[in-house]
Order: sequence, then structure tokens, then C-alpha cells
Amino acid sequence: MNPLLAQFLAEAGDLLDQVGDGLLRLELDPGDAARVNEVFRAAHTLKGSSGLFEFPELTSLTHAAEDLLDAVRAGRVPLDSAMTDDLLATFDLIRGWLAHVTVEERLPGGADADAAALIERLRAPIGGQAADMPAGRTAGVARHAPDWVAHLGARVVAELADWLDTTSATMRFVRYLPDEGCFFRGEDPLLFVRQVPALEHLAVLRPDAWPAPDDYDEYACLLGFVLATRAAAGELEYVFRYIAEQVEIVELDAAALRSPAAAPVPAGTGPASHADADALAVLEAALRTLEPHDEDGPPGGGPSATHLGSVAHAAAAAARALGAPVELDPADAAGMRASIRSLLERARTAGGEPGPAATAADRRTGEPDRRAADADPGQVGSRVLKIDQAKVDRLMELVGELNVAKNGLTFLAEAAEEEYGSRALSRRIKDQYAGLHRIAEELQSAVMDVRMLPLSVSFSRFPRLVRDLSRRLGKRIKLVTEGEDTMADKDVIEALADPLVHLVRNSLDHGIEPPEERTAAGKPAQASITLSAVADGDAVIVEVADDGRGIDPARVRQRAYERGLIDEEELETLGDADAVNLIFQPGFSTAEQVSDLSGRGVGMDAVRASVERLGGAVTMRSEPDAGTVTRLRLPLSMAVTQVMVVSVAGQRFGVPVDLVVETVRVPRAGLAQVQHQDVVVLRDEVVPVVDLAGTLGMPWQPDPAADHAVLVVNVSDSKAGLLVEHFHREVDVILKPMEGLLRDAGQFVGTALLGDGLVLLVLNLKEVLSLGARAA
Amino acid sequence: MTGVTGPSDAGCVLVVDDAATVRMYHSRLLAGAGFHVEQAANGLEAVESALVRPFDLYIVDVNMPKMDGYACVRALRGETVTTTAPIVMISTEDRPGDAERAYRAGANLYLVKPVDAERLVRVATMLAGPPAGARER
Amino acid sequence: MALELREDTGTLSGAVTVEEVEELVAWLRRTPGARLSLHNCNHLHTAAFQALLAFAPKVTAAPVDGFLAVRLLPVLDPPNAAVPEGGHHDDRDAG
Repeated sequence: MNPLLAQFLAEAGDLLDQVGDGLLRLELDPGDAARVNEVFRAAHTLKGSSGLFEFPELTSLTHAAEDLLDAVRAGRVPLDSAMTDDLLATFDLIRGWLAHVTVEERLPGGADADAAALIERLRAPIGGQAADMPAGRTAGVARHAPDWVAHLGARVVAELADWLDTTSATMRFVRYLPDEGCFFRGEDPLLFVRQVPALEHLAVLRPDAWPAPDDYDEYACLLGFVLATRAAAGELEYVFRYIAEQVEIVELDAAALRSPAAAPVPAGTGPASHADADALAVLEAALRTLEPHDEDGPPGGGPSATHLGSVAHAAAAAARALGAPVELDPADAAGMRASIRSLLERARTAGGEPGPAATAADRRTGEPDRRAADADPGQVGSRVLKIDQAKVDRLMELVGELNVAKNGLTFLAEAAEEEYGSRALSRRIKDQYAGLHRIAEELQSAVMDVRMLPLSVSFSRFPRLVRDLSRRLGKRIKLVTEGEDTMADKDVIEALADPLVHLVRNSLDHGIEPPEERTAAGKPAQASITLSAVADGDAVIVEVADDGRGIDPARVRQRAYERGLIDEEELETLGDADAVNLIFQPGFSTAEQVSDLSGRGVGMDAVRASVERLGGAVTMRSEPDAGTVTRLRLPLSMAVTQVMVVSVAGQRFGVPVDLVVETVRVPRAGLAQVQHQDVVVLRDEVVPVVDLAGTLGMPWQPDPAADHAVLVVNVSDSKAGLLVEHFHREVDVILKPMEGLLRDAGQFVGTALLGDGLVLLVLNLKEVLSLGARAA
Repeated sequence: MTGVTGPSDAGCVLVVDDAATVRMYHSRLLAGAGFHVEQAANGLEAVESALVRPFDLYIVDVNMPKMDGYACVRALRGETVTTTAPIVMISTEDRPGDAERAYRAGANLYLVKPVDAERLVRVATMLAGPPAGARER
Repeated sequence: MALELREDTGTLSGAVTVEEVEELVAWLRRTPGARLSLHNCNHLHTAAFQALLAFAPKVTAAPVDGFLAVRLLPVLDPPNAAVPEGGHHDDRDAG
């Protein structure tokens, strides 16, 4: 792909985001002049850049949008919701087009038809037709060709004039004078020239005389260029956008080419007057230094002796340069002041134009406005890098592999001691491991940090979603976001996207009442939905709250009973809070009954499943007529899990360390039975014990004579014991989700590779324990 | 990078700027004009260099880390170095009062970037060029 | 690499960047009657192009790259096509 196009596509993405965001905010606060300007400028830049490529439909569409925005900006037309709709639709369409271009490098077929309707709507408020103003500094065709066009050569100019005459067309002419020091800024003028599309002629401007070989400075740019091109002014502005001040672009027709302007008379700036200007600047500076000032001068009020000495020296040098040497005594400040003042007066009256004022703002003679205030976006060198997600993922993989390799050292240390009998070596390996471990941890932290994104990334789509949906449903809704700066791992952020959309849609569809119903119930007509995020230790808590109808626990209980999810006893006894959470049960609602009852249901079990797959939890709280809050609790980082390793019959299993309470060895006699369930009594607490091997269907029996190894865990707020064969150490692992056949085997959350190359199956404790309980 | 030695009575110039490219650029310009040029990347280095040998001219950038241009100039004029040699300050800013600040600190001239190459050489030659009389320290 | 500079002939290939300019100019300075092949050259940094203009070595083989051949070569070597490498030709006048 043409690198210029690739660059445009990258920039366009950001511009479109800016426009979308700006429009939404403008809708809420149409008076925000700064915001209108922002959106206008983004649209303007898009239009300008689009002219560079063969996408006329894109240019016309952005042109229409830009004209409308310009009218809004100038106060000629107030921005209303319908206009915002049209503008949003326009930029949505453009986004779609650019996605197509990214793949096909051209606009989709039918683009012009799609655009036509929108263009009409965009132009309607501003009275119809496009002002056919070519963008750019040319502001139309010049009357006379600037003198530098002649550098193309009389023959070329004549030929071009004939051609333009025949075709009644115009062409663009560019004079590019790179700064002498441009190479030091990393600029290569020929590279820019190469990028000029549709170049017809190029003339190279050379100095009249080259410096002698020994004096030749290879890093001083002494060349200039004059170009004749069929490219549009907008395209040229884009190519030269970072060096605009070194470039002059004009549009000429045949007539202009045939009547060159009279050469401008140079303002008598010969070397002599330059030097005079410098000398005068120094004298002015000296004078200002000597004038008494009341503000914070140096202590002692006035220049120091050293300073005065320098003033005398510099002023004397300047006076000499002016051909009027003068004696200056640094000890006599007043005397110096007088002498300098009279020098300046004499110089001014004698020489006429005194040159630039003392602040000596240096400008190259004859050049138009230098760098504009917001110059050099390309130069400033962004402090932020855009990184391909795949690269970050790769870094994470490598960290994982590093961890595994590092962990291998502990096994190695063991082997050194046990297999090779060298304790000393084992110790040295452990030392080495300790050092590596520290570094690996920091590296891991750093990479995970790179993966951290603010929740605002997840939240960003909602203003638009809420706006569109609420308009469609005829409800009035305000979206509030809090804590969007809270950071979480990018995978978590990504995984949150669907569940959040689900929850917000549910609120919008079912939770929030139509305005009339709200006012009838004494609530404000405008409902609100709040998305909030807050960090809580190593987890992030995201809540979706609305002030709508709320959920009626009685109806939920009833429905759950009807669907066989709870029995009669539970129907009586289930508390309200728990009842609400029944909504998450699969089978609670079917596709047909979407709205009436609880108003929720479709997809809630999917939401729960996704969240739990991430190692999180979701709960709901509700109050009838007041509203509903859904709370998602997710681990801040999913990348690395610390697990405790246990084994049964040679197969190793991992248990997330935060769920582990303790490891105990229990003599056979310590295990009792309560209602067919094995239990162990620990410090006066009765803890049910589940046989891991039995639950997983592995052929293994504990040795009756030996103590039993029980891993005590805490899951869903209750303690349980897992009967295993051996305990092993804790390790950090990168959890890979289950794939293939085992994916729906709920007993496992994933696999990990251990340092010695064996595979660890990480248990989904909740599932294992409930399986075990049922088996009992 | 130490400077290129010019003719034996060449003035000594110290170019102070934290941007290597700009330092190189100004140095080459002045060396090409026959000056002996040395460089300093910040105010502290400048003061150190100035203490080792006296310069005939200092070109000092305003925006530098550790010790900004103004502080550097004050130090050069102050008790540490006490040089009366001319100091030209160069800055990207052109706001009212910036020049005043420069003069109060002890500069003899204030130029705004980008400085025209010829102008820099002219100014340097005027202020520290081959002397017509005794050179002050 | 990009510069192959011999006794009095040389070859510029690939992209001649600003990093190569110092070496190129030093060679041009000490090599009166220099002859350069641009055959495989596909980009000249402006500083390199400028040096070629200033020192005017003889171009013995034209660049295959379109932009260089069409736009810059005529400036470097006005009258006509380059003489093929190895051919017999007079040295250019200095300057």
C-alpha cells in the first residue's frame, strides 16, 4: 500500500474518534465554541487529506460536513439533534469506507449513492450547493506568475501555458526553499519532492557559485526546487504539511503563466545593513540593561560590575561595527547610557530604517510567516507510542516462557542435591534463581503495566450507544461514568466489552421506564445509568446501575419455581437478595419472554459465564421502583496466576493460591462421615472433604495407613477440603484457557506449562467441589 | 566534540545547548568562520568549562535541563566565573519580557530560534572576532 | 554498501543517506576527474545530490530508478545520456 495512504488511514482513525466524541459533547453543550472549533478542524483536516487520493466521494462528503460545521462555528446555524444525527451518520459512513479502503484500497461501490443522500441533508440547513472553493493557501488563481516560475525554463513555461490554454485548466506551481540547516532536523527535501503526485516538471535551484571544495559544507542545504504539478493544492499542502513555511504554492492558468509579475524590489537589505541591524540590536540590549528597573532586578539593584563590564565590551564592539567607535567606562553606568543613547539616535536618523526592534526576532528576509504557533506536529516527537496489540501479547508470552524457564531452576536445584548429591551446587543454583526471579518479576510487572489500559477504553462506546438507543426507544437517559481512569489488564478490558453492552442494553430496554411512567411514579423524567469502576486490591469492580423499575424478587422466585430451578421449599425460604441472583441461572428466561416479568434474563447467564471464565464474579442488587445495580468483580490482571500445585497418581493439578487456606495432614482416624459426606474437624470447624481422584474419576485410593493430605480451600465463602496425594510448591503460571474437547469440562479453568515440561491442569474449584458434593 | 582550530588568534566560543544537533550546527557554523569552538550540553558543564579556560563569547540556549539558560548566564557573570565576555542567548520563545529577562541575567543579545546562519556568524564576528584592540577577559 | 569508492571511480547503490555524505564528499574532494556509476542507485539524499552538483563528477551509468533518471539526472549531466561504464571518454574540466 502506498505509504502515504497508510499514514492517512492511521491519522484518519484518530480524527474520526475526535469528531465523534466532539459531536456527542456538543449535543449536550451546543454553546461550547472551543469544541465546535475542534470538530471543525478535524473535519477540515480529513477533507484536506482526502484530496490527496482518488476518493472524490470522500472529499465531497467531508466538504459538505465541513461546510455545515463551519456554519455552526460561525453562528449562522444552530446545531440541533437532527444535524448531529446527520453528522454522526456521515462520519460513521466515512469510517466504514476507510475500513474498506484499508483492505481494498478503494472506496466501496455505491459510495456516491450513499453519500448523495447524506450530502443533501447536510447541506439543507445551509442552503444547498457547495461553494466550490479549492482549499489551501492559493485562494483561487493568481493573476500573475511569481518570478520564480521562470526557473522552469522559458520553453517549459511556454509549453505549459499552451497546454493550459487548450484545456482551459490550471496547474499548481510550488517553490520549495529548504532551510540551510534542514538536514539537521532530519529533513530530506528530495524525499518530499518525490512524494509530490502528478509532477510535471522539476527545476533545481542552485547557488550562483558553489563554494570552493575546501569550504564546501556538506551539511548545508544550498538547493531549492521549483515544481509544476497537476496535484491539487490540498494534496500539496498535505505533502508539505510539516515544512509549510519553506514552501510556496500557487495556482496558475495560461494567462498567469504568460504574464509574470514584475520582480519585487528587494528591500535594500545588503550585507551592510544586516550588520548594522545586529550592532543596533546589541546597543538596544545594552541600553535596556542599563535602564533602571523597578521590578525584581538582581540584588543590589542594578547590574553587577562584571555585567557592566560585559555591556561596555559588547557595546564598544557594536559601535566599532557601526564605524563610530566610542569609549565606554564600565564604572560609569550613567555615562554609558548616555553614550549609547546618542549612538542609537545618530544611527537611526542617519541610516533610516533601524532594523528590527531590540528583541531581535530573527527572520529570513523575504520569507512569509514562519512557523505557525502549532507547528511541527511531526517534529515534536510524541512521547506516546502506539503499539500493535500483537506485540504486547508476544511480550507477555515471552515473559511467561521466561517464568517457566526460571522456575525450572528450582527443579534443577533439587536434582543437584538429590540426584548428584551436591548441596553446594544446589545452593548456588538457588541463589541464581533468586536473582533471576527478582528480575523476572519486575519484567513481568513492567509488561503487565504495558498491558494495562484504563476502563475508559471499555466505557467509551457507551455515550453513543446510550444516545442512539434512548432516542430509538423514546426514553430520556443520562449516562454517567465514574472511575474510568481505573486501570486493568487489556484482556480484562476486552472481555468486559460484551457483558457490559449486555447489561447496559438490558437496563435501557427493560430497566428504565418511559418518561411518562417515571413522572407518574414521582421520579424525574430523565433516567440515569451509571457505569463505574474502582480498584479493590487485586481486583477491579465494575458496576452498571440504573434508577429504573428494579426487579421484583417475588416474581423472580415464582418464575424460577415454574421453570424448575428451585423447589417449593426454596420458593418459601429464599431471601430477596438471593432471589434476584437467580436471574443468572441458565434457563431462567427464554428468548420469547423478553420484557414483561423481571425484564432481564436473556443473556444474563452468558454474562455470568463469561465473567466467571475470567476468574471473576457477578452479582445483582435491586430495589423495586428504585433501580438495579449489577456488580462485576474481575481480577485486575489475568495474565499470571499463582497456583499451588498438588498431585494425585502422578498427575499434577493447580489451585489458585488465593483460594488456599492451608495444607493439613490428617490421620485416617481424623476423617469422619456426616450424612455420607467425608468431613474433617479443624479447630472446631467441620469441613467437608472431597476426594479429588474420585471426583475426577481417577483410579487412586489413599493409603489407609498413612496420613491423608487435605488441601483446605475457601470457595464462595465456605471452607472445604480437597483430598490429594501430594502437596507441591507454589508456582507462577501463565494460564492458557482450555481448548478442544476439554473446553466444556467445567472442572478446569485452564492449563499451564511447568518448569520441568509437564502440564498442569488448573482446577475450577467451585465446579470440582460441587461435583464432589453431588457424588457423595 | 571539541572545536576545529582556526587561525591562531581565533576567538574562543562556547556553545551551550542541550540539543546535540543544534550544538553541532552552531559549532560548525562558527568553526567554519574561524572560531575555536567548544560545546557544553547544559549550564553546569558550561560553568565548568568556563572555569577551565576563559572564552571570548558564549552562545547560550534558554531551555536546558538542570540549569536553565538564565541561571547559566547569571553564574557566568556571577562570583563563580565573573566573565565580562559577551553572551548571546538563544531561545525558542519570543514573548514580551523574555529579552528583558535575558538582559537582566547578564546577556548582551537575545536571538530567537531558528537563528539565521549568517546572522550568527556576523554577530559572533562583531562581538568576538579578530580584535582591533586588546581582548578583555 | 551504498558507497563503493575506489581510486577514481565509484559506485552508488541503493539509498544514499545523509550518513554517507561525509565520506562521499571527502572522496570527491580528493578525486579530481571522479567517475561515478549511479546504475543501482534508487535514492540520493539531497545532501548527496547537492554534492554531486557541486563537484560535478562524471556520471558513467544512469540510474534505473525512475525519479532519479527522469528528474535528477538531467540536472547532474545536462547534455545527454551517460557514457556506459568502461567506455573511453575525456575527463571533464575541473570546476
